[in-house]
Amino acid sequence: MLKKILLIYLVLFISNIQSQLRIEIKGGAEDPISIAIVPLEWNLDSPQDEYLHQIIKSDLESFGEFKVLPPENMLSFPSSKEEVFFKDWRMLGVDYLVIGRINVSDFSEEIITKYTIFDVAREKSIHRGSVIGPVKTLRKIGHKVSDKIYSRIQGIPGIFSTKIAYIDKPSTDDPNFNLRISDIDGYDSLSIFSSPQPLMSPSWSPDRQNIAYVSFEEGTSRIFLQKLNSAERKGVKLEEGINSSPNWSPNGDKISAVLSKSGNPDIFIYDLSKDTWKQITKHFGIDTEPDWSPNSKKILFTSNRSGSPQIYEVNVRSNRVKRLTFEGTYNARGRYLPDGKGIVFVHRKNGVFHIATQNLRTGKIRILTDTFLDESPTVSPNGNVVIYATKDGDRDTLAGITLDGKTKFVMSSIKGEAREPAWSPLID
Amino acid sequence: MNITHKFIITLIVFFLASCSSVSMDRTNDATAISATATGAYSDTGITSNNILYFAYDKSDINSEGRTKIRTLAKLINDNNLSVRVEGHCDERGTREYNLALGEKRAKTVAELLIINGVASDKIDTVSYGEEKPASPGSNERSWSQNRRALVKTF
Repeated sequence: MLKKILLIYLVLFISNIQSQLRIEIKGGAEDPISIAIVPLEWNLDSPQDEYLHQIIKSDLESFGEFKVLPPENMLSFPSSKEEVFFKDWRMLGVDYLVIGRINVSDFSEEIITKYTIFDVAREKSIHRGSVIGPVKTLRKIGHKVSDKIYSRIQGIPGIFSTKIAYIDKPSTDDPNFNLRISDIDGYDSLSIFSSPQPLMSPSWSPDRQNIAYVSFEEGTSRIFLQKLNSAERKGVKLEEGINSSPNWSPNGDKISAVLSKSGNPDIFIYDLSKDTWKQITKHFGIDTEPDWSPNSKKILFTSNRSGSPQIYEVNVRSNRVKRLTFEGTYNARGRYLPDGKGIVFVHRKNGVFHIATQNLRTGKIRILTDTFLDESPTVSPNGNVVIYATKDGDRDTLAGITLDGKTKFVMSSIKGEAREPAWSPLID
Repeated sequence: MNITHKFIITLIVFFLASCSSVSMDRTNDATAISATATGAYSDTGITSNNILYFAYDKSDINSEGRTKIRTLAKLINDNNLSVRVEGHCDERGTREYNLALGEKRAKTVAELLIINGVASDKIDTVSYGEEKPASPGSNERSWSQNRRALVKTF
């Protein structure tokens, strides 16, 4: 029975699994790491699974760091160490080799994927892993294997199991605003909240169990918190004026946000257990777009106190404010890099809005994108990639670029009008 | 700690780092659950002449706008209306910054209504930033229509 289900499942999905990202490698990229993912063998007579190795291939090639050897160029399809002839793989120029086997139990809905990663030059296995899960989580299984391959070879966490939250604006297909969550390639998108009035500014809790966002369902902006596994939601204590731009603190007990109850927008901190607001900045100009530093000590924000929007940092304890950006007349919506040593933000140059990054020690700015109206940058939890909102013609869509600026991709699988991406924390 | 100890620990660390690692992971098919807004807010216009327009990144009102606000103030007082002023922006610039700018526009209009004799408790303000454009295009023609404040009955 299960074999039949599997077969139907595979037939349905093999045709579906084209690369989800339209990738464009810019000139000057170093040689990518060459890796072979041998199509994983099932303990079934047929069919040979093509799906899992394609998920892994699509993941690893996302950011230009890996080049995956096509199966038709392989001289053999080993599924155990004894069947591996390293000389053959060296001849094909392969740096790393992944083999494995998928075992399906007739008595269980789960499959067990076992895999081994080899360093071809050293002729040694560098990791053996297994992933167990229901058949229908095959994509998740693939992302887990990709994460392990990535982290063992690159030495930093893989991000293929992480998620992106984003806002989908009304279209001809759906008259509502939707808060959606998808894989980072845009696949498996699910609406977790739907409303005829605008939704804005999603922010993940550090445990990934909750999302804070702004909803206008009551006629004014209000911050809501929603649990992902139960859809349970509640409005945060409402104050007069703007209630917006929520950003969860790294240890999860507070939310920085913007209130205008003092007469103009200022940065406040909401204490989740005490249900109280505490004012952090006090200025007659616009203060907005807070982002907590990774060590919780500072909050990045945008202010027009100098006459044009610039990015500042406020010390949460002393409330002392320091200006960070000086180049150009529009720098806004800053986000810290995970190591706290740099920021990404929206930078206007000659009337065009780009995503830029600034080293906080040297103050040096680097413009990453060259498209029009780029905004809302969000950084991968391993610090390597930025996803941002951009235009594809007149359509709002999401795109990404590596922090080194060398690989750019458009999330072409995202349908509708997507904006305001927010990258989830790492999923262990 | 003596040198021999240190050496042994270094050896162990080196051994651990150089040998193959082993991992066991599990996936589950738990997916997030969705919710929908109830009691959606709706609103209506007061007159066709209730829209004020603004220059890019500005919240001040020109003389034509001031005349319009005087007429609106009289209409509100004559009919004893309560109104809500909505501030809107074009799509350029960041969303949360535009939400703040839209509030500034709405408040400028509210202040001028008060100067023209409307009681402050009859006026409410809200900003929608760039979230509710009147015209969807990414060009100056659309942008100029989107940088606006609307005075609505509430």
